Amino acid sequence: MKLVVAGKGGSGKTSISGTLARVLARDGHRVLAIDADSNPNLALTLGIPADQMGEMPTLPRGLLRRTEQGSELSQTLEEICASHSLTGGDGVTLLVMAHPQHAGTG
Amino acid sequence: MHATVRSVIETASDAAGDVCILDTEASPEHLSRGTAQYAETMLIVVEPYYKSLETGRRMALLGKDLGLPHVALVANKIRDERELEAVRQFAGQHDLEIAGSVPFDESFPESERAQRAPLDFAPQSAGVDAIAKIGRQLVGNGRA
Repeated sequence: MKLVVAGKGGSGKTSISGTLARVLARDGHRVLAIDADSNPNLALTLGIPADQMGEMPTLPRGLLRRTEQGSELSQTLEEICASHSLTGGDGVTLLVMAHPQHAGTG
Repeated sequence: MHATVRSVIETASDAAGDVCILDTEASPEHLSRGTAQYAETMLIVVEPYYKSLETGRRMALLGKDLGLPHVALVANKIRDERELEAVRQFAGQHDLEIAGSVPFDESFPESERAQRAPLDFAPQSAGVDAIAKIGRQLVGNGRA
């Protein structure tokens, strides 16, 4: 299942995304959680300790290469996860997307 | 960024039992750039007041325009039957599905203050319970 969680800021979408991810992982699903919010804090609701969040490996830009159809990832998702993901509670894999306004700020 | 998100979702496994969950930006704008395009379900979290519902309605329209097979609201921070009824009424007027509702739960802001996951901080809370129910219903519906 590929699920997108949307909602106005403050609606609780991150608490719901993170809790859904944890519950389904606990039930035995392999769960990949992606944080694309410009104020990323999905890690917290996944149970990743705050002191680990400073070293969060956000996805580098330039992961895409152009194709005739548009674009595709230049690495496999496994390779990307191996170098750029964190593991949350119940084994949830977390990828955090880099936002343009965060570029260069580490 | 939006193209990368789109490609990651496209590439994510859709093998049985695998789940990919994307927590999106708060503004609806990214949806028009197709970030959600390769998902099959879009949950739109709304609170029981007009501005939130109206934003949710616009997001649902964008999701349907992208061709997502399943677009549904989640009514969040619901304090009583009257609030739930307001969401139901709005959804009915605009032909929107409600995937479920989550009660207002003080343990959620508390868990945030404690910098812990709601599932670790208050595993038995009504909020966690309601979210678990919604998730299990989604995967149980063959949308896993």
